[in-house]
Amino acid sequence: MTRYGFVLWTAARQQWTYRAELAMRTIQMALFMGVFMALWTTAFGVSGQAELSGYTVVEMVWYLAMTETITLSSSRVFIEISEAVKAGDLAYTLTRPLSYPFYQVANSLGNSAPRFLLNLLMAAAVVGLGMRQVAGSLPGLLAFLGTAALALLLDALVAVLIGLLAFWIEEVMPIFWIYQKLLFTVGGLFLPLEMFPDWLRRVAEWMPFQFITYVPARTFVAFEPEFVLRAVGGQIIYVAVLTGLVIFVWRRAQLRLVVHGG
Amino acid sequence: MGIKTIRLVLGYLRHNLMSAMAYRGAFLLQVFGMILNNTMLLFFWWVLFNRLPSLRGWDLTGVMTIYGITAFGFGAANVVCGNSFLVARVVARGDLDYYLALPADPLVHLLVSRMSLSAWGDMLFGLGVFLIAAPGQWARLPLFLLLSLLAGLVIVAFSVLVGSLAFWVGNADNLAGQAINALITFSLYPADIFPGLVRVLLYTLIPGAFVGSVPAELLSDFDWDKLATLVAFSVGIALAARAVFRWGLRRYESGNLVTVRG
Repeated sequence: MTRYGFVLWTAARQQWTYRAELAMRTIQMALFMGVFMALWTTAFGVSGQAELSGYTVVEMVWYLAMTETITLSSSRVFIEISEAVKAGDLAYTLTRPLSYPFYQVANSLGNSAPRFLLNLLMAAAVVGLGMRQVAGSLPGLLAFLGTAALALLLDALVAVLIGLLAFWIEEVMPIFWIYQKLLFTVGGLFLPLEMFPDWLRRVAEWMPFQFITYVPARTFVAFEPEFVLRAVGGQIIYVAVLTGLVIFVWRRAQLRLVVHGG
Repeated sequence: MGIKTIRLVLGYLRHNLMSAMAYRGAFLLQVFGMILNNTMLLFFWWVLFNRLPSLRGWDLTGVMTIYGITAFGFGAANVVCGNSFLVARVVARGDLDYYLALPADPLVHLLVSRMSLSAWGDMLFGLGVFLIAAPGQWARLPLFLLLSLLAGLVIVAFSVLVGSLAFWVGNADNLAGQAINALITFSLYPADIFPGLVRVLLYTLIPGAFVGSVPAELLSDFDWDKLATLVAFSVGIALAARAVFRWGLRRYESGNLVTVRG
């Protein structure tokens, strides 16, 4: 475990070295939040209602700030994995005293951590200034940080699975697009699950995607201890399921691996 | 544009498509992945318009038309001019040498020498969404194609303009990427939902309105003056992009890189 912790710490420090460039990338966050503030202010104005599905306009925008913080900090490690598979570079990593997929999970979390911090600061600054009101509470913020950490772990496990698919298919990018759009939709990235039609909400609640975006953001804007406990339980179950799946896929992938000497 | 340039464009289109067909499975996966990806983006609007009848005159049909035009235009831009988003990178790396040494227009040659395979999915999605958005759309298909191609021209010209910044600031890859991302993001939202100052930006500095909203308005409520404005803007920005690129070329310094092109 210490080894993986060291990988995570090294990846985070490596990212932090380029913090100026990372800060530049948070412009994207400012842009998205500007669009959402305009859209939801107009939508609430048109509806003439103070609340839509239990969310005020301020809560809705802060909800989106939190989902975007997680999504824009999420893993791109599948690119590195799929390129290593295609180029045959994977052979070198097999000699390391670490499990390759879990090395990549730690690497992914280390890459995400500095981006998460900068995105959170940018989102809070833009939304705070734009809406002139803050949603959430201190317990909500602490619970958000905990659930967001588990969310990024789930996301890293999914990214590793996508990367390992390169053993079977030439191009994994379309699989990533589909995963990303599942986060957009049933994950509640753009809309809280409460806004969905009932049948779709029931479907979304059984899927892992809501644990990556909806759960941490909802925890922040409407902190309820019971909801947090249930949500963390769900996240841990899905971490266990995905970990098992990563181990299974990696074993199958190794059978397809052919290393030539030289 | 001379006959020679048209032959160059068509030659590259044919060559790039044939290269793509060599890996047919990967090509089709990218195309269908992109169609699914874009379809899921519409989910947000479907849920939102289930709650609200319209947003400042825009309903689901109107937004689907915006998506149709933007996706088809974006797709066409990246099928024909697949290098348009990479201008800054090519300039900064000194990779322009190859294009300068040949007897073809360097800007056109640079733009058309790559084809984005997933962009075929954008084009198919755009056409499909437009035809599904409202009954009896076939009659307006020629106008849709014209407006989408104008939107594509604006996207390519804007990308060349921001990519050309690399002639002056060096590594402008990130900056150009953010600007192009902003253009596409804003293009997908009705311009009317934004407050006054942002709306001015959408008709000037980040001309997203000329990619999405204005062509969509023309399709639902045709007006010759508006079409003339759109044509004038599209041609104007294309000429400006060409002039700025040529101006920048005077400052270009070769990377002295020895590269091999297949």
